[in-house]
Amino acid sequence: MALSEDMLPKVVDLAKKHGAKEIIAKLINKKEYQIRFSNSMIDIIKEWNLNALELFIARGHRFTVFTIQNPTLEQINKTIPEAVKRLKSLPWSLLYWGMDKTSHHYTSLEGIYDPKIEVFSEKAPDLVNATIQASLEAGAKKTAGVLYFGGIKTGVLTGYGNGGGYDSSYYRITVRSFVDAESSGQDMKVGRSLTNVDKKFIEAGKNAGKLAKMAVGGKQGTPGTYDLIMSPTVAANVFNHIYDGANPIYIVGGMSCLRKIKKGQKIGPNNLTVSDNALIPEGLNSRPFDFEGTPSQITPLIKDGCLNGYIQNTSSAKIWKLLSLLKLRFRTKSKSTGNSYLGGVLDEDIGPRLLAPIPSNYVYEPGDYTLEEIIAESKKPTIYLTSNWYTRFTNYMEGQFSTIPRDGIFLIENGEIQQPVRKLRLTETLLGMLSRIQAIGKDIKQINWWEVKTPTFLPTIKIADCNLTAATQ
Amino acid sequence: MIKKSDKMEDGKDIADYAIEYGTSKGASYVEARFIDSWDESYSARNGMFLGILENTRKGIAIRVIANGGMGFGSTEQLNKSSIEDLLNTIIRMAKASKRKEPIKFSEEEIVETNWKPEVRQNFIDISREEKKSYIKDLDKRLKSEANKKLKNRISFIQLYTDDKYIVTSEGSKVSSQNSLIVTMLMHTARGKLGSEQKYFSLGGSAGWEWFKDIKFADLAVVAGKALVKTAQNAKGVKFDKPIDIVISGEVAGIMTHENVGHPSEGDRILGREGAQAGESFYADLLKKEELGKAKLGNEIVSVIDDPTIPASAGFYLYDDECVKARPRYLIKKGMLNDLLLNREYAARFNTKSTAAARAITYQREPISRMANTFFEPGDYSMEELIEGVKEGILMNSFTEWNIDDRRFQSKYVGLEVYLIKNGEITDTMVRRPILELTTYGILGSIDALGKDFFTPLGLCGKGDPMQGVPVSMGGPHARLRNISVGGGE
Repeated sequence: MALSEDMLPKVVDLAKKHGAKEIIAKLINKKEYQIRFSNSMIDIIKEWNLNALELFIARGHRFTVFTIQNPTLEQINKTIPEAVKRLKSLPWSLLYWGMDKTSHHYTSLEGIYDPKIEVFSEKAPDLVNATIQASLEAGAKKTAGVLYFGGIKTGVLTGYGNGGGYDSSYYRITVRSFVDAESSGQDMKVGRSLTNVDKKFIEAGKNAGKLAKMAVGGKQGTPGTYDLIMSPTVAANVFNHIYDGANPIYIVGGMSCLRKIKKGQKIGPNNLTVSDNALIPEGLNSRPFDFEGTPSQITPLIKDGCLNGYIQNTSSAKIWKLLSLLKLRFRTKSKSTGNSYLGGVLDEDIGPRLLAPIPSNYVYEPGDYTLEEIIAESKKPTIYLTSNWYTRFTNYMEGQFSTIPRDGIFLIENGEIQQPVRKLRLTETLLGMLSRIQAIGKDIKQINWWEVKTPTFLPTIKIADCNLTAATQ
Repeated sequence: MIKKSDKMEDGKDIADYAIEYGTSKGASYVEARFIDSWDESYSARNGMFLGILENTRKGIAIRVIANGGMGFGSTEQLNKSSIEDLLNTIIRMAKASKRKEPIKFSEEEIVETNWKPEVRQNFIDISREEKKSYIKDLDKRLKSEANKKLKNRISFIQLYTDDKYIVTSEGSKVSSQNSLIVTMLMHTARGKLGSEQKYFSLGGSAGWEWFKDIKFADLAVVAGKALVKTAQNAKGVKFDKPIDIVISGEVAGIMTHENVGHPSEGDRILGREGAQAGESFYADLLKKEELGKAKLGNEIVSVIDDPTIPASAGFYLYDDECVKARPRYLIKKGMLNDLLLNREYAARFNTKSTAAARAITYQREPISRMANTFFEPGDYSMEELIEGVKEGILMNSFTEWNIDDRRFQSKYVGLEVYLIKNGEITDTMVRRPILELTTYGILGSIDALGKDFFTPLGLCGKGDPMQGVPVSMGGPHARLRNISVGGGE
């Protein structure tokens, strides 16, 4: 039976009838595709079909979450009473303190669905092959990458009558091109509208090819202290760990470097403003409301260089308030920021899914500089990183980490790129780097790829005096 | 307790139908993998539950080769009409790939078999109360025995079972019933210089009896105590010249996994992971030397990846392409010896698959993966390893680590680390010593291996979409000579 939003009131009523005090029913119908390529050829094309009803049912502090695949009324009638009955055997949850009871009305959110997605699979393989060709023509010897795209229909209804339905579409392509094994470059394009997508893909291919060509002949970099220019790709990977920590669950769990930072405390330059923004057009996680039906909003996390706020859902806001009453925290005003999401504790596929605050899109206010201006003003020895991977922490609360630059890495001296370099490691602390930001670019770009999970709109960023290391033997 | 579907036969029928239909539509190869899974996961912080969830999932993965291109699809809609629609799409898209070099698979033995791990206590036969009590009791022990300085104790335990049926158009049919435990404890201990954090993870293919068999709670308490001791006692020590290092099975394990296991993956060597997990420095080696002739380390060093170890985290007897599993000697007596190959990459290397194809769910394609990777033990006692060290450190555990995407330049930061002086382990704990070493630097420095053996769990990340596959990684204690050590703050 086809998925239908008409089912949702019946589901909610059924759960209430059997004793559930709070319920969220979410219907998802999605068709997604992936085209993976390497060695300048398509390796595999995938299609995923999902037609599912996700249910969150709670009584007091006890909750359960489950999914019914290809839901039918027969299955729903059988499964929900069993689930409500199971609540008794579940423990009181430290994390669940209720959901949004306020009745909401929503304004429509433009720019998250393009109907062209319905037929995009027919031309996508040819577009990928054209992207590969563009990269080769720009100087690459071989090209790898991935294109994801899909269309999703979502319907949400809570026991308090909140929610609604919306359609969304998306694409994201990553192109990584090689001239030789150690000379590579990467670019990506991410969005929801398919208008001019063919030109965007070609541009990504060309950019990756050009960067790979620029990286040819790179020498072992010299460890030391350098000013650092981070492309949007690198800055998103590194600094998102800070914004991820603007989350009560991370703070209580010992996973946030903002644990000891007070609201209003200065941690970055005056022109650094970063928000969680679930309303931005083209944002891959933009949506009219969250899993609880709370309307989406813009939540400044860092404002004018100061810690400004945290993402919250109903439960985390209540926990926060309780902690401040106990004087364990000095933050009082807490309410949901529309970031409630059913997420995995460790990963999408691993661990229990909990109703917790999860970021939507991180969005920076643009700065004043072009990349060219940032390079031109770099008179001291400066390293420009275009991509990175494998960021790991010695201590999340201290923000002590290292990460591995990859693809084009360039040494800049006297305002000009002097030579490509290789085999360096950035070893730093998150808040140390944030406090040493020297320049914020105006080249805002949406980043979302294998190494950056939260879609992030950000520019190039320059940081003073960063520590770069290398293997000793 | 949610029960898994009792309609496995329906899944088999639909998988068999996928082969029949896909072949009739022009696919030169069709593979269907039906999975009916159940999992139950428990998470708690400081003994208070965050959530307990049960989940059942049932669906089918279909992979085809058509006109030399590969298509993959998955669906939970297990009826003929949906399977036909899916196959029509993925065959059309495989053809649309327009590959210059057609994808081929290595020829392998056709098999019809069944496998499962030994399970004495099925998860569903253990009451929820007993499982909850185990987690609460574990936390009580951690709090009382590891002391109150172990401030943040996050526990996560996942119990997973599945029924799987894989069928190929070549005639292979493999059924399996797996049972897997994944545990992760994330601890934070406070000390004089701040805090120290540690993930402690073990896992196995077994039933509930596994917790008692391996004395899981005892091991967790030992790890918790060590973290508190480290946070309270470790201090910065600078080493001006290279020293000797003795590493534990835990540290040896991460090195075998990152520096040997990953570069051995055939798809990575030939570039398929280029845009994600990267390539492999073996690509350069294998241009110059054949397998068995490229030297990577000292003669005493052998690294094995073996999926067939009973009760291990990476246990399987047939891979997800119906190829019989066997131990792979990735490094034998210091020489590059074997690779991790699925059928596609075995064909490209003009050899046979080494049964490395694994997929984490029916929504993912099978790719080359590790299983249980470890240094082959030697014959040294712990005393013998230490007595030969004039100045050095004993690194029992690690914290931060990473490696470049060709798997050559790695970094490991020590966590529980003791100073060794004149052949004896001292009470001096060394705070966060840093090793930044190449793969040659590690394998060429090992001069002795212990006869003990320890293999923690890892969730190995690879693939796009990411497939966090359970593996183990370990070995005995090992001694590395003349290593430059950084840190000392």
